[in-house]
Amino acid sequence: MLEEPSSMEALIAVIIGVLTACGVYLALRARTFPVVIGLTLLSYAVNLFLFVTGRLTVGQPAVISDQAVGYTDPLPQALVLTAIVISFGMTAFIIMLALKARAELGTDQVDGRLDGGDAPNERGREHG
Amino acid sequence: MLSIAVSIAFALVSGALLLSLFRLLRGPDKPDRILALDTLYINTIALLVLLGIHLSSSLYFEAALLIAMMGFVGTVALCKYLLRGDIIE
Amino acid sequence: MNLFFVVLIPFLGAGLAAWVSRFGRLQSAWMAGGVTLVALIALTPSLPAPFLGETLVQRIPWIPALGLDLVLRLDGLGLLFALMVLGMGLLVILYARYYLAERDCMGRFYGYLLLFMGSMLGIVLSENLILLLMFWELTSLSSFLLISYWQHREDARTGARMALAVTGLGGLAMLGGFVLLGEMVGSYDLSVVLANGELIRSDPLYTPMLVLILLGAFTKSAQFPFHFWLPHAMAAPTPVSAYLHSATLVKAGVFLLARLFPVLSGTSQWSILVIGAGLATLLIGAYFALFKHDIKGLLAYSTISHLGLITLLFGIGTPLAAVAGVFHIINHATFKASLFMAAGIIDHECGTRDMRRINGLWRYMPYTGTLAMVAAAAMAGVPLFNGFLSKEMFFGETVTFSANHTWDWLLPAAVVVAGIFAVAYSLRFIHDVFFNGDPIDLPKTPHEPPRWMKVPVEILVAICLLVGILPAFTVAPLLYVAATGVLQTAPPDYDLAIWHGVNAALIMSVIALIGGILIYAGRRPLFNLATKLEGLLDARAVFDGLLKGLLALAGAVTRILDTGSLQRMLLVFILSALTLGTVGFLGGGAPLTGDRDLLPADAVSLLVTIALIIVALWTVVLHRRRLTALIVMGALGLLVSLIFVKFSAPDLALTQLSVEVVTIVLLLLALYFLPQYSPAESSWPRRVRDIGVACLAGGGAAALTWSVLTRPYESIADYFLENSVPGGGGANVVNVILVDFRGFDTLGEISVLALAGLGIYAMLKDLRLPGPTCDARGRPWNWDMHPVIMAALTRLLLPLALLVSAFIFLRGHNLPGGGFIAGLITAIALIMQYLANGVEWTHVRMTSNLHPVIGAGLLIGLLTGLASLVFGYPFLTSAFTHVHWPVIGDFELASAIAFDLGVYLVVVGATLLILVHLGLMHHASHPGEQEPNHA
Repeated sequence: MLEEPSSMEALIAVIIGVLTACGVYLALRARTFPVVIGLTLLSYAVNLFLFVTGRLTVGQPAVISDQAVGYTDPLPQALVLTAIVISFGMTAFIIMLALKARAELGTDQVDGRLDGGDAPNERGREHG
Repeated sequence: MLSIAVSIAFALVSGALLLSLFRLLRGPDKPDRILALDTLYINTIALLVLLGIHLSSSLYFEAALLIAMMGFVGTVALCKYLLRGDIIE
Repeated sequence: MNLFFVVLIPFLGAGLAAWVSRFGRLQSAWMAGGVTLVALIALTPSLPAPFLGETLVQRIPWIPALGLDLVLRLDGLGLLFALMVLGMGLLVILYARYYLAERDCMGRFYGYLLLFMGSMLGIVLSENLILLLMFWELTSLSSFLLISYWQHREDARTGARMALAVTGLGGLAMLGGFVLLGEMVGSYDLSVVLANGELIRSDPLYTPMLVLILLGAFTKSAQFPFHFWLPHAMAAPTPVSAYLHSATLVKAGVFLLARLFPVLSGTSQWSILVIGAGLATLLIGAYFALFKHDIKGLLAYSTISHLGLITLLFGIGTPLAAVAGVFHIINHATFKASLFMAAGIIDHECGTRDMRRINGLWRYMPYTGTLAMVAAAAMAGVPLFNGFLSKEMFFGETVTFSANHTWDWLLPAAVVVAGIFAVAYSLRFIHDVFFNGDPIDLPKTPHEPPRWMKVPVEILVAICLLVGILPAFTVAPLLYVAATGVLQTAPPDYDLAIWHGVNAALIMSVIALIGGILIYAGRRPLFNLATKLEGLLDARAVFDGLLKGLLALAGAVTRILDTGSLQRMLLVFILSALTLGTVGFLGGGAPLTGDRDLLPADAVSLLVTIALIIVALWTVVLHRRRLTALIVMGALGLLVSLIFVKFSAPDLALTQLSVEVVTIVLLLLALYFLPQYSPAESSWPRRVRDIGVACLAGGGAAALTWSVLTRPYESIADYFLENSVPGGGGANVVNVILVDFRGFDTLGEISVLALAGLGIYAMLKDLRLPGPTCDARGRPWNWDMHPVIMAALTRLLLPLALLVSAFIFLRGHNLPGGGFIAGLITAIALIMQYLANGVEWTHVRMTSNLHPVIGAGLLIGLLTGLASLVFGYPFLTSAFTHVHWPVIGDFELASAIAFDLGVYLVVVGATLLILVHLGLMHHASHPGEQEPNHA
């Protein structure tokens, strides 16, 4: 996939891949705070991905002027702009849920279990 | 002539960026990291202005302006946390 | 347009009737009666039309693109039902005013009743099938409310739920049927559907369509095997039963059969299904009615039986049978409503409905007894009462029908058996209640009810008699137009006389009468037998079993899917996404790399990329030290915004930068209440597994991005780029898209943001969490709440920051900026004051009530949109003009800037609301900890 390691496209693909991987790993942790950080990383990745679906253009912002030689695709930008703001709202909501869970359950484990740690494996869970 | 100057400046600022990045990741203390982040913001401002010169466009200067402001607020918030824990009191 | 008022008035009146109950108990009854009268008056201008052979159609376009209009029709059938719904409604309203006890809430009762009345009128007056279905579902809902009116009673709740489940399921099936029907003829208008009978019957999908529609009709009309809900609905107050089970709810099903009779009938499928269901219902209902000890139970099963009779008539499918069906609809409505009302009086006076205890009431209430006797005679089909006429037509039709079929004697024999049982249960209703010894252990001593409670019964009984004796002078015209409405042509000749000479029908009537008396006389052994057979044909048990099975299945599925563990569910989610993506990509056989020209990378970009990757990985490595991870993540946001800058998206960079800071502040506020470190709990195998999954997901995302980026694509961007300046009056296309082209979306986005803010505010309302008294290393917090230098600096910065914000906002239409970014900057500038100077200092100088700000923002956004509607443009079209401001220069003033102001206000309000109230929680958590304020 990286037969042309010096292209911008490859760099962006790697960045999005790394952000996704880090976000997914953190989202799979057992405590609320790392999960929120992970979701933030994931939203970076998603926003970047949506943004670059308009393909990469350097130095051609979508601001109409006489000197401009060309314009980038403004539509993904408009979509991502609101997505960034909304993802802040989402982060705020989730962190608030985490606080609420901490207040009600006395723990920041994602499933509200007091013994902490990861979810046990399949067997013995029902009666655990 | 200008392009050579810009290239050299790019190299220097990139170096500075790497160095503050190193401090950010290495620490060892939280104040170290916060200061490194603040410096990183400053480096970014330089990088943006250089990019603006390079592309001869003024559209990026507001971003630099905003980074300056946001960097300050971020640093204030983090420091307040270190001092008091409770940042809005 | 008067038909629309007829339907709308009861709905409006429902609210009024509920409201006026605060002015006195009986006000609701007056209001409900008044509303019904007004609806009746609204109907009167249209009354002559059906009699002149016209079909009134009134139309208001609604969603023309989908073939959906608000369109009502009035023909003979609609007229008959509208009159029954309103007339019977009036009588029931009067009756209920005396029936309901002091403790019953009148407003709620009449509100529900009018709601139901409106829905029912909607059904019978709809011209559009989809509209009809909507009202159909509304009757299901409002009858649910009526049946469960006594909410404290278990049986009322169960009965209502059962009715809703059965009729709701039927409604769903009917929707399917209607869609099929509409697709066959290409229109949902009844006029079109009714004119295309041939086309519909020859359609290959005719049978499934018929089955689905019949499911709807049969569930509503309590036809076997869906009859079981009706007896349980008897838990409703008796006026409700009188209304629902005589003229309205259950008649909706037969109404539908009548409505679609011209297009659906005349096929063997129709005959088999409808005759089969009708006959089974007729017999089962009649049998069970005889053995019920509850008066209302008896009436319920007899209702089922009579509905079966009507269904059977429509099933026979000849025009004459349809006329008989319509006639019996009228007759059944009158005698059954009066019987229910009489049963209600008896219940009201005796305190029980058990016929084993209620005996010999003749001595206590002879007048009510007389009324009940007339109505019961009509139900039994005794000559000179209206039930006799339609029943004889019914008998005659079965004989005519059977003459052409192989099972020639079976159908008449079966209906005679049903007739015998009908006579027997009618006889039992009278004999057991009013004679048969003395009352046993009644809670109250019965006496005649209040004068006006009897009036509705008297009116109905009078109709029974008048129609029974003088049919040609009373019911004939109405029956004629209604039958015309059903058949959509003039009905065949028929004779509404009492005496037709000795024919098969008369002989059957006589057999039924004599047989009924004999059966009732020899009832003791039959009752014993019935007790033994009880439970054999218990459809309720089947329903309950089905329901239980369904719930168990749902529970099992939920247990499989919802393991209660976020980690496991996320894992399943990610793996499924990966699998689907991989399978989809490999299945397509497309190459990973497209053939678009690539951009060469420069050294700085490579450097930023490497920095970003390291920072991201480091965030993960350090994630258990939460504050450190947060600091590192700050750098990540910065680098991501650099990417936006590099690839020509200054607006995004500005937004990302602002959001980054706001997020850091938010997470710091939350982190104060959470542990500072995450314990190392995951086992090594699990970490390795998670790293594996993460790498797969990252690889997938990277591959996806790569293959997207290397492919050429077609964009609709050119439209926006070309029209931005001439159409939207702004050079910054991103902003013009946000506030103009896609302004409606943006309105939705800011609504979401506002809702998130309010939701968080609500969650914070009574949240109390203890904060730590020392930092993570155990050192006490610094004594200096508001360091002077910081406080002084931020105060100086505030006007500057607000200036930047105003600048970014104003130029946003033409250069990078706009309401979102400006809002975030303002919010940050204000948050900075909270950070450095504290809540008290800030609240002295600034309002802490942010809800009006959010509200104003949403309102401005909405009003700007509506303003363009007022001027005749599509929602949110922008108007603009150029203004020359001194010093600043040529400035474009677009109406979109007002919309952007709305966006700005919502962003400021919601962001501040979230952060400040989260900050105030600290305050609430440490009320005692106050230090000298040096400011």
